[in-house]
Amino acid sequence: AADLSEELAGQLPTKSRVVICGGGITGASVAYHLGLSGWGGDTLLVEQDRVGGELPWTACGLAGRFEPSYTELKLAEYSIDLIKRLAESGLPTGWRPVGSLNLARSWDRMTAFNRMKSQALAWGMRCEILSPEQCGQHCELLSLDGIQGGLWIPEDGVCDPQLVCQAYMTEAQRLGVRIVEHCAIKKIHSEHGKVRSVETTAGDVECEYFVNCTGFWAREVGTLSKPVVKVPLKAVEHHYLHTKPIEGLSPDTPFVRDFDGRIFFRECEGHILAGGFEREAKMVYEDGVIPLSQTARQHPPDWDHFHELLDALLLRVPSFRGATLDRLTNSLQVFSPDCKWILGEAPEIQNYYVAAGNKTMGVSASGGIGRVLTDLITKGSTYLDLHILDISRFLGLHNNRKFLRDRCKEAPGKHFEINYPFEEFQTGRNLRMSPIYPQLKEAGAVFGQSMGYERPNYFDQQDKQDEFGLPRFRIAQTRTFGKPPWFDHVASEYRACRERIGIADYSSFTKYDFWSKGNEVVDLLQYLCSNDVDVAVGSIIHTGMQNPNGGYENDCSLARLSERHYMMIAPTIQQTRSMCWIRKHMPNHLRAKVNVADVTSMYTAICILGPYSRILLSELTDTDLTPKSFPFFTYKELDVGLADGIRVLNITHTGELGYVLYIPNEYALHVYSRLYQAGQKFNIQHAGYYATRALRIEKFYAFWGQDLDTFTTPLECGRSWRVKFNKPIDFIGRNALLKQREEGVKRMYVQLLLNDHDHEVDMWCWGGEPIYRDGVYVGMTTTTGYGYTFEKQVCLGFVRNFDEEGRELAVTNEYVLSGHYEVEVAGVRFEAKVNLHSPNLPTKFPDREREAYHATRDKPDQADLLSFGGLTTVTGTGTPTDGQ
Amino acid sequence: RFLPQLPQLSPYDVNLVLRENEFVYNFPVDGVIRSYETNQLGSNSPCEDSRTEASLLHRNGFICGIFDGHAGAACGQVVSKRLLRYVSAATLPRQVLREQMKQGCSSQSFLKCHNDNVDFVSEIKPIYEASFLKYIKQLTETPQRDVSSELVHAFLQLDEGLSQEALSSSDVRTMSVALSGAVACLVHMEGLQLHVASTGDCGAVLGVLDPQTQQWQPKKLNIEHNADNMTEVRRILAEHPKEEQETVIRNGRLLSQLAPLRAFGDFRYKWSLDIMQQKVLPMFGEQAMAPNYYTPPYLTARPDVQQHELGPNDKFLVIASDGLWDFLSPSEVVSLVGEHINSKKILEPMRLPEGDTTLQQISEQLVERKAGLTRKPVDQNAATHLIRHALGATDYGIEHSKISYYLTLPKDVVRLYRDDITITVIYFNSEHIAQLHSEAEQSGVTAPVA
Repeated sequence: AADLSEELAGQLPTKSRVVICGGGITGASVAYHLGLSGWGGDTLLVEQDRVGGELPWTACGLAGRFEPSYTELKLAEYSIDLIKRLAESGLPTGWRPVGSLNLARSWDRMTAFNRMKSQALAWGMRCEILSPEQCGQHCELLSLDGIQGGLWIPEDGVCDPQLVCQAYMTEAQRLGVRIVEHCAIKKIHSEHGKVRSVETTAGDVECEYFVNCTGFWAREVGTLSKPVVKVPLKAVEHHYLHTKPIEGLSPDTPFVRDFDGRIFFRECEGHILAGGFEREAKMVYEDGVIPLSQTARQHPPDWDHFHELLDALLLRVPSFRGATLDRLTNSLQVFSPDCKWILGEAPEIQNYYVAAGNKTMGVSASGGIGRVLTDLITKGSTYLDLHILDISRFLGLHNNRKFLRDRCKEAPGKHFEINYPFEEFQTGRNLRMSPIYPQLKEAGAVFGQSMGYERPNYFDQQDKQDEFGLPRFRIAQTRTFGKPPWFDHVASEYRACRERIGIADYSSFTKYDFWSKGNEVVDLLQYLCSNDVDVAVGSIIHTGMQNPNGGYENDCSLARLSERHYMMIAPTIQQTRSMCWIRKHMPNHLRAKVNVADVTSMYTAICILGPYSRILLSELTDTDLTPKSFPFFTYKELDVGLADGIRVLNITHTGELGYVLYIPNEYALHVYSRLYQAGQKFNIQHAGYYATRALRIEKFYAFWGQDLDTFTTPLECGRSWRVKFNKPIDFIGRNALLKQREEGVKRMYVQLLLNDHDHEVDMWCWGGEPIYRDGVYVGMTTTTGYGYTFEKQVCLGFVRNFDEEGRELAVTNEYVLSGHYEVEVAGVRFEAKVNLHSPNLPTKFPDREREAYHATRDKPDQADLLSFGGLTTVTGTGTPTDGQ
Repeated sequence: RFLPQLPQLSPYDVNLVLRENEFVYNFPVDGVIRSYETNQLGSNSPCEDSRTEASLLHRNGFICGIFDGHAGAACGQVVSKRLLRYVSAATLPRQVLREQMKQGCSSQSFLKCHNDNVDFVSEIKPIYEASFLKYIKQLTETPQRDVSSELVHAFLQLDEGLSQEALSSSDVRTMSVALSGAVACLVHMEGLQLHVASTGDCGAVLGVLDPQTQQWQPKKLNIEHNADNMTEVRRILAEHPKEEQETVIRNGRLLSQLAPLRAFGDFRYKWSLDIMQQKVLPMFGEQAMAPNYYTPPYLTARPDVQQHELGPNDKFLVIASDGLWDFLSPSEVVSLVGEHINSKKILEPMRLPEGDTTLQQISEQLVERKAGLTRKPVDQNAATHLIRHALGATDYGIEHSKISYYLTLPKDVVRLYRDDITITVIYFNSEHIAQLHSEAEQSGVTAPVA
């Protein structure tokens, strides 16, 4: 062994710009793409065993693009194209375009397929909806018993993952990447929060970038640095069945997935390779210690566990009953807690990239992942919005071993389940709860989880207690693509918020405090934000934090608590992410001077909303709440009930009159009880997330992560009035936005109201429906919902303008307003009326302030309608001017 | 008679209680015995049952015993430890015994106890050692007898020792041992020869699998010495004058006090009137002497010994104190353990048949296993399995609330509902037994003699 490491020491350079750890297919792809972009000579790949050392029998080799989101689908599509190209250039990959046949046993599954087809056509993926008979024609082996239909993806195929890995490696080496085998990483050293060097068994290597592509071992490799990089993954058992060669088996047998039977199979060198995703996965290495060798990744097969899948297979293909077994392998796989890939720069250490959690889909994922990681390393950005896969979507809790053990039982099964809207995990629940959670549960809350936080989605008085009379913990369920079971509950909550008073728990929102001794905090925020943050103390600014391309990295409200103290409210899923962004882009001269603290867990946020909310709050506080002294979009620290120090924001994020109270946790229950008690005379009612969501969709409010992402600019979503180009500072994204203002936007955020849609019988919109303008596909919906005031389906989404050659042209208001629109819902098109700005909803309680405020506006150059004009209002020289 | 308002235990709590004293021992080398499992559930506080298992040194053999004490735990505890030592010395070839004596042996030189981590206190240990040395010295001076006779002799000698120690020592502890009592069931195995020596009302039953019908058959290896045993009753009556016919056994009890009709200790029913007057009554008062106590001894520690040669169909042996037999019959016990063995196979990974197997065949095999899995017992340990059934069995399966009820009975009444239960289940290695048989046949001897 000593000789070996000496020999290796010779091979190992002392310096390399990029070090990739892991010689599996992902590492190989990253190395290959770095090579392609000219970084080959700067890249070193180390593997503790041998590259491509994954044992045979441990993968199904599907190169398929059936993915639930645009990003994942595009990554998979790129991977498949790449494999095809490698095969065409003569490298062995085992690629065969046999197509994939996806079977449905239920109408809901068919609806899911129809939705997929609607999207796929819009996204440029070929696929076909099949009748049961047509399914039989594509694969004669099938029993069509119970089959309702299928989805055929002709351009999918199969390949040999080992050969593909080899091909990447060969190409990478040709492009100058150095590959060192039998060399294990011992430590990753960082300096000033950035990667500095790695320590290996064969010596140290100085580097700028480190890429953790260790897949199965990524969580363990994550612990080799200080601070630990959290890569939440859990190993579970996963079986592949191989038969002995079957006579007469066509090599063109498609890759078949029987989702409702949880199984798949393919032809592989004359025999059948089959597998599946069981409802509840079996955990391995529960102590969290994963042995390092590839062989330890093989467990003895558990036939009893595989039984259900075997029977499902034999039911679908009766002729396999006579097939002879070759082997059943149990090759362990790792899954992330949300069953999605994990990509991107680690929140803990800059220039430390992770690509892991490819959950049995390594081949379909690898190509795309290699490309985007290379883009991120070499260019700092890439061609797709990655936030749903980004490693910063996690919190520390997700990396808790017991949490992973609990949750990952469920994760693999999600793979083959129908992707109903608002799907919830059943495990890993009751983890983060606001102090008023017991009260909400007692009041009938049915919960959804976001970043581990239990948040009431709606309230249901039926069956809210268990057999002992104690409040039951209930998880929200939709489980349909049509009218959801919670429709009436949400309708009643919605009405309360519009006509009386609703009370909602916003505690999960991300909350940061920013402060400094001098003026540095203002300098920092002016640089990070596109809106002008230097406003009067007590004002609230709604602003984006743009990336250099002008896209939204974060969309937040900033309350100026004092001259040098701001509080930021951002979407729940931004908790880790926005801290990364701020840290990474903090100018060096401010780094030591500005404090940024995540105070999410210190405050409970209660929102009261509705026409009576002002009267209610006035009863509980001495402060004058009239618009004159406490106008819309301002902040005050109030005494409420017997408590003090409550940060009250006069905004609701839904467009209703109301307040969000940020209450120090120990007062939360007190303030809640007082509000609820005092609200009784107004018939106060609990409102859940679905109700506030319905409110904001109808009022055309955009939300980051749902409508906005890192590729959306304020100009595209009717928020150019929130970008202050003439701020005396060159904020991030300014140039890109200026350029866009010159050239015009290529897409525009619109609101569509569906005509002739019967919400009782028609399939609903759930986001991701294609929008047609004059019969031509122009974009996708983002968030959608039922508008309880309009009594119509309301869709928010983006429209583009393509010319005949498919080039994108600028989108103007005239273009948007002159079209005739349709939205395709699971294969059926509905006519739609388009809106460019937030509508005024009819109300019995007119409120000038809010009527004047339109979150989304049609004219990018329109002057601010509402200059609560900062200074004037607060100093009491006037009421907010409304632009009417 | 159902007591209301007992707290309901959760299944988890029940498992904790039932499994507290579980013990499993797997023999590391291939022998006649594969493994044994034991468990104990007390009713008295402290529990008056004891048990010991040990491998015999200087030869291949195993002994174990269950001891059910009464009138205190002292006698049971002492006999539990000492009897096995006596027997292990007595069944050793005299020549070896003599050699060992020369080298200076102690009472623990002839056996290795499993799961035994307590020893006698230093005050009485030397007394017991002295008695033991005296005993083996006497052994070396007498010729070797067959195992049965040695067992009987060892029982009697130990009992005699208890008496001597109580009378000659001033330590109150030896007297309390002598005045409490214990019944015993001892299993001695060497080669294929199995001996069960029983004094009192413990029970041993062999589980035999009928190779034709695949049914489990119980084979009792002892007869309890209690009032239901007519031979035993007749023996006692014959030992006493006619005038005492009415009083010797009354209400199914010896002198209307003692349920088992043979036992260790209990010298209140053995010692002469003189000794009682001089030693016992002054210390413990008049009521220490049983009514109608005229012609002692009324009680003996002499065991009945049954010999059995193990065959390949003998799968396991269960010995248990009467606490178990109050609830379950020998045939119930044997079928419960038999089923438990079958269901434990399901817990092992599936073995595919040799050669080519079709997926259909595998599927069928899995269906069978799945059916078995539904019968999968809660307990891995057969002794716990028996206790759970003893307490919880109903016509429609195990009833959790019934077990919970038995476990939560108040201390002062619990003994009326259930006695201490101690169980040892010994599993035989049928392949090894078959091999020994064929070797014996080849060498022309019908069966190896111990």
